Amino acid sequence: MKTPETLSGEMMEKILEKRSLPSWVKKLDSWTVYAPRKDENERWNYDIAGSDSVGLDFTVTTLPAKALIFPQREIFLEFLKTAAENRETLEVKEVLPGEKPVVIFGVRPCDAKAISLLDKVFSGDFVDPYYWTRRKQTILVGLACGTPPWENCFCLSTEGSPHSEEGLDILLTDLGDRYFVKTLTENGEKLVNRAKDLFKEPRPEDKKKVKAVHAEAEKKIVRGIKGVKKDLAAKLRGMFDSPLWDEESMSCLRCGICTYLCPSCHCFDINDEVDSVSPLHGKRVRTWDNCQFPDFTMHSSGHNPRPDKASRLRQRLFHKFQYFVETYDKIMCTGCGRCVSLCPVGIDIIKVLDKVSDHGS
Amino acid sequence: MDHNVYIPKLAKIIQIKEEVGGARAIKTFRTVFTNGHGFDHRCGQCAMLSVFGKGESMISISSSPLVKDYLQFSILKMGRVTSALHEMEVGDLIGIRGPYGNGFPLDRWKGKKLLFIGGGIGLAPIWSVLQTALANKGEYGDLTLIYGARTSKDIVFKEELADLKNKMTVFLSIDVAEPGWEEFVGFVPQNVLDKKPAPANTIAITCGPPIMIKFVIKALKDLTFEDQQIYTTVENKMKCGIGKCGRCNIGLHYVCKDGPVYSWAELKRLPQEY
Amino acid sequence: MAKIEDLKEEARKLLREGKIKYIIGYGTGSNGWMAGPVFIKNPEDVDKLVWDPTCVHNLSRFLVDEKRRKAREKQPDKRPVGIFVKGCDSRAIVVLLQEKFIERNDVYILGISCENGGVVDEHKLTRKLKGEKPKKIELSDNGQFVVTTGNGKVEFPVGELLAERCLECQANFPVISDILSGEKTKRPPEKPFGSIEKMERLSQADRWRFWKEQLNKCIRCYACRSVCPMCYCDECVVDSINLAVSADTTAEEKANKVKWVQRSAESSENFVYHFVRAIHLAGRCIDCGECERACPLDIPIRFLNKKLEKEAKELFGYEVGFDPAQPSLISSFKDEDPGDFIR
Repeated sequence: MKTPETLSGEMMEKILEKRSLPSWVKKLDSWTVYAPRKDENERWNYDIAGSDSVGLDFTVTTLPAKALIFPQREIFLEFLKTAAENRETLEVKEVLPGEKPVVIFGVRPCDAKAISLLDKVFSGDFVDPYYWTRRKQTILVGLACGTPPWENCFCLSTEGSPHSEEGLDILLTDLGDRYFVKTLTENGEKLVNRAKDLFKEPRPEDKKKVKAVHAEAEKKIVRGIKGVKKDLAAKLRGMFDSPLWDEESMSCLRCGICTYLCPSCHCFDINDEVDSVSPLHGKRVRTWDNCQFPDFTMHSSGHNPRPDKASRLRQRLFHKFQYFVETYDKIMCTGCGRCVSLCPVGIDIIKVLDKVSDHGS
Repeated sequence: MDHNVYIPKLAKIIQIKEEVGGARAIKTFRTVFTNGHGFDHRCGQCAMLSVFGKGESMISISSSPLVKDYLQFSILKMGRVTSALHEMEVGDLIGIRGPYGNGFPLDRWKGKKLLFIGGGIGLAPIWSVLQTALANKGEYGDLTLIYGARTSKDIVFKEELADLKNKMTVFLSIDVAEPGWEEFVGFVPQNVLDKKPAPANTIAITCGPPIMIKFVIKALKDLTFEDQQIYTTVENKMKCGIGKCGRCNIGLHYVCKDGPVYSWAELKRLPQEY
Repeated sequence: MAKIEDLKEEARKLLREGKIKYIIGYGTGSNGWMAGPVFIKNPEDVDKLVWDPTCVHNLSRFLVDEKRRKAREKQPDKRPVGIFVKGCDSRAIVVLLQEKFIERNDVYILGISCENGGVVDEHKLTRKLKGEKPKKIELSDNGQFVVTTGNGKVEFPVGELLAERCLECQANFPVISDILSGEKTKRPPEKPFGSIEKMERLSQADRWRFWKEQLNKCIRCYACRSVCPMCYCDECVVDSINLAVSADTTAEEKANKVKWVQRSAESSENFVYHFVRAIHLAGRCIDCGECERACPLDIPIRFLNKKLEKEAKELFGYEVGFDPAQPSLISSFKDEDPGDFIR
């Protein structure tokens, strides 16, 4: 299955006045357009963009863009068992996601990079058709971060940046009253060409300002993990049996916030949901699952290889910062900061990883 | 049109044999795909069996790849899906997708002696490699099976084992003495130490309850077997079977994809989380 | 004035004398400005303890963890754990005692009174500060919240920043404790169930619409359940997968376990999950508000529990979490209980 086209060689750079953004969205009528929307508590989440209300002055969405490509619930197949004339027939029908071209506006670079990591997970020896049907129909329009969306951003220390282009089809940079629009793929170009008249050529000052905005943004990121990719992975490898995990996981509630809101977490469950017993009719459904739930790894016999919170916290950090690194040479965490900011008990993986780096030194 | 990896192929159950009754029932199922040839497999590989409405369960294929007429699975009644399988009858339809896993590296063992050590239901995963080796007897050294169960009633493949004794060395055992039982009485690891297999040019393949595997490996090490001479299969909770859902992730591996067959040398390098 | 220093000295003494295993208290969070739970084992670390209006967590939740930990150990350390509680949190301990989930000598309760304050609602503060980031918040002697931001200090009347549950609080100081700091200031709420009045005035159709919209957001992260001290069941009835399985559980038991709710975050499943969980907490929920605070998608779950608390009070005269000897709401009755719904 082909992955989305990467750089076509004809990358475009344009300027779009901010006030023209709703008009652009209006022209994208052959796509369902999502954009961030604010709720009463000043929190943002993706919602279908009303063309008159779309704006990109947002911080970061609680649910990452992954939720629109890899949803909480997805139907794999339907089964129907009928008995006719003493013969039982069993019909199993594949249910692929329908045709629904989607554009997501306001994808932060950390979220987009995470999606490119998910692309790796869902391809390989076995290609996941459900993920890819949605992925191929989704165009990601990113917004570079002028200031870090919140204090706990640390993308710079996970090989990312507030203006990273990885995984995106277009990168917008906010220049005050206008956006600098950089198309990165054929799909990005397609979107821009839909409303050609709204876009202007950039002036040299614009290009200079973009560089300045990007550089400034990098300076504003305050947090970061001390360990560098390979060093941290090596350090972790030696700390599998450390009592650190028990100490750091004492307040863990074993909920799903850190994993469900993580843009690169992908663990899932597959269950059969029966709509009627006779005739047997139901669906096989994929739902999000996560390694922090106590029965994630529990065998039918009751044996649980990860029976305590320490081993589960360790698994999460090792998967992101060692296993994935040693398999794909990429850090699976993209430094979005959601788990740090939204953990109900304040478990801070930046702090935990710094303890790992400091260990023994 | 690419085949969707999550959609099982339909198969009909053509034979069910009750190996063990009672609370820890084991049944052996033979299945045939309803629509042409399903797939070829290697010894030690597994398949996801689907009981629609209940779920899926990863079961090792116990028939040899040389057998083309059916796929054989020996299933211990454990939970939701396996209980549903046990309620099924000949002619019922299930779903099968696979084959998954790395399988035993039988090719690398040509010319070597093969020592199979199984306990309880653990005989099923190694049955396929045992049968394949037996069919190509000339290519391997002596074949030996050391197998035990809790009681004589818990022994699987009873008839096949009786037949096997004519073709290779078979040592059986049960945990506690029973009237009429003349072979070894004790746990499988103790039987291994009792029979003292020589490590020279031998590959040991063991499968059974985790505690048995632990002590069998210890016994083999005591008998000076080297880490890379000992092979086992790792059991882990699995859902997707293709290394994506994360459940069977141990270290850099997904047991469904990179395992379940591991040499002790390889297994020692993985985090001890299974 | 409630001071953490009073309790720190006691905490140090208890740890030094080995009378308690460890202390569950509040410490400075590292991921922001709110305090977080800390577990203090050494007397030297007692200085890490803090007390300010960001101490929102209900630490009694960790008594459940402690019990689970002990159950896993072969020779558990039977000494009590020390725990810092506010008024609301102490009521949770009363419920746990009432249900015999823990014994009185499993805990050493260090109580701290909210006096004229309470805990701050982070979202209310965000709205008031209009973009300014708060660094610190304190309760002043004259009963105001003093917020320190990058631009200096600003004062607010407590009523403007207090969490909704503090405005309806029935226990401004711990109802049970081994040592207490602060005045036993009682501030009976004007409207103990004021927050649900607006909801109650809505028509049933509007209420249905409201909840459908809100529960559609739910991703079933189970944070609401995980943070609740009273959701301590090993096997949760509204979670189809969570099974308390041991080596002795038979295949039939596992096969016959009913899946009341699917893991799919669909409208119908979400309704059953939240509503049944709320009913299971009727007469047990002490309105610490943690479920709503923990929810990353801002679902106003507290309304459900508050409504049932009101029903318990009005129909059965039942108040939760004040008397450990009181029988539970659902497993007791009085002759004068209303019976007009029995036809």
